[in-house]
Amino acid sequence: MARWGMVIDLEKCTGCQACSVACQMENNRLPGENWQDVLFYNEGEYPSGKLTWLPRPCMHCENPSCAAVCPTKATYKTADGVVLVDWDKCIGCKYCMIACPYGVRFYAEEKQKTKPDVRDVWPASGDKMWNPPWRMPEQTRNRNWGIGIQPKNVVSKCTFCYHRISKAPKGTADLSGDDPKTREMTPACVVTCAPTARYFGDLDNPNSQVRKLIAQKRGTRLLDQAGNRPQVYYLAGEQSSVPETRSTRKPTS
Amino acid sequence: MTVTNAIDPAARPLLDLDRKPDGLSAMLMLIGAAAGGLGLAVVFLKLLTEGHAAFNTSSDMAWGAPIAFYLFFLLASSGLSIVASLDTVFGLDTFFPIAKRVVWLSIITLVAGFSVLALEIGHPFRMLWALPLAVQVHSPMWWMGVFYSLDLVLLVTKFWMMHTGSWHTQAAHRLSIVSFVVSILAPGTLGLVFGMMAMRPAWYSPIMPMYFILTGFASGVAFLMFFTSLMRDHDKTTAEKRLFDSILPRLFFVSLLAVIGMRFGQIITGLWSNFEGMEAHWNALGSGLFQVEIWLGLVLPTLLVSTNGLRASAVMQWLAATLFMVGIFSARLELLIVGQKVPLFRGYWAGFVEYWPSLTEWMMVPAGMGIFVFLYGAGNWLLRLSDAPAKAH
Repeated sequence: MARWGMVIDLEKCTGCQACSVACQMENNRLPGENWQDVLFYNEGEYPSGKLTWLPRPCMHCENPSCAAVCPTKATYKTADGVVLVDWDKCIGCKYCMIACPYGVRFYAEEKQKTKPDVRDVWPASGDKMWNPPWRMPEQTRNRNWGIGIQPKNVVSKCTFCYHRISKAPKGTADLSGDDPKTREMTPACVVTCAPTARYFGDLDNPNSQVRKLIAQKRGTRLLDQAGNRPQVYYLAGEQSSVPETRSTRKPTS
Repeated sequence: MTVTNAIDPAARPLLDLDRKPDGLSAMLMLIGAAAGGLGLAVVFLKLLTEGHAAFNTSSDMAWGAPIAFYLFFLLASSGLSIVASLDTVFGLDTFFPIAKRVVWLSIITLVAGFSVLALEIGHPFRMLWALPLAVQVHSPMWWMGVFYSLDLVLLVTKFWMMHTGSWHTQAAHRLSIVSFVVSILAPGTLGLVFGMMAMRPAWYSPIMPMYFILTGFASGVAFLMFFTSLMRDHDKTTAEKRLFDSILPRLFFVSLLAVIGMRFGQIITGLWSNFEGMEAHWNALGSGLFQVEIWLGLVLPTLLVSTNGLRASAVMQWLAATLFMVGIFSARLELLIVGQKVPLFRGYWAGFVEYWPSLTEWMMVPAGMGIFVFLYGAGNWLLRLSDAPAKAH
């Protein structure tokens, strides 16, 4: 069984947000409720000022605190290493949103950050929060995986596009948008990434590209001291860096 | 206040429906029904038309004011339950005259807290089956659910035994011991719900369970003093007068001092630490909630019950209890905000998370308080809350 993970090369990432848009479209996200986002950091002033950015999906941690705190076991880790939410068990207590160190969980049943409220433009039907005209994963809506249009009063999160990756044949080492054979099984953010800054594969397979990149290019994890052991690794190289803090305090020097 | 233990309790009706409600009970029921009705009507209407988007919570401020109100009621309930154990577990007979009243107060604060939670949570009915079936022993919230459910069952059973005259049976004593243990475990695990969250440094503390138990105890005494101060002197026996005029306000004074000491430790630690996330404590200093908590909720009530003369005054007791309840109410909300004030990964451009409760969230206050006040009035009228065993007199 694979243990899926992602590698994001920050030296190649241009911060274009195409990954965020692809995720929005693939997963019918409400505006502002971005399962996948790109965060921006600015430090210093001209002429030595610096702008950096960090693409941030769910980390699909090896030791997910969101799953540990969930009182109904609605959040769970699959055998192939993906953290999912079972919408039929979620009671909307939002404890997982408190316990996730990376802020990658969304309730969505809240005031919209953008106008007009798209929920009014495409009103809900049935158990859905809204009814958008595009619905790519709608054909494979799976409440037990937390995939499809989000129902009301439950928490949602990035699924690594589980409706796609779960179709990968056993023994697959890498999933890439460049390979026609695996393109439809690869997460939308990885497929759409123009500079190919994202890699996806089996972390337990020593021959996978993600494993090699982590080993050869010093893959690092975000906020590793939290102990959650993310399955998303960053390659910072010499040109970039992973933010040391999540703080509101900018560096003073 | 009359002691009615001369009559065989078993021979009396379960509810005193033949008796007309006294003025205080009628007034409380009226106020409770009006406030509760208004609060519930607004909250239901808003939830039906807007859903939980009627709250000002967001993905950054996931827990808002209703959770603070829930904490307010549940911790007060646990405090009352501990007070109720002073006599039934530890043999402090002085507290017997209020034992039944305290157990009733503990039950109805729990009911008010659960009602607020049901209005806040996404799927309250799903919770009823999903929680017991999950057996998620890693989750402090799951344990909190277990202990508070158990707490309610034990309190109702304890009240039933008192109501039917089983004060000194072995079963009653054993039940009281178990109830006392659960009344410590329940707020303790509620403290762990916050205190275990290392990713929320402003909450992360092994002291949090103790803080919840202690402030819960002080809240319980304040709730009790609020209602006993409304009783007229000729309604009280000599033993009760001593309890109400001296012992209870002293207990309140001591618990206030303990809360102040603990809060000082929390504040100074928060302000001193450079650890990221702790800057929320500096931010809290400028908040009105913090000022209300410290000055109106802690310092002023402590001064109001600081001498024997002041403590004996029913007006001062009422005022001190009311101020503390307002203060601790602010403290619960402030606690909720401080832990979520510094956003998780949002980049430098996000800044602090801004939050103030919406009208719907504020209306949970009259909703919860209304339920509580109405049930107290009804209990005062129908349930002979002043009953006590003969031994107490």
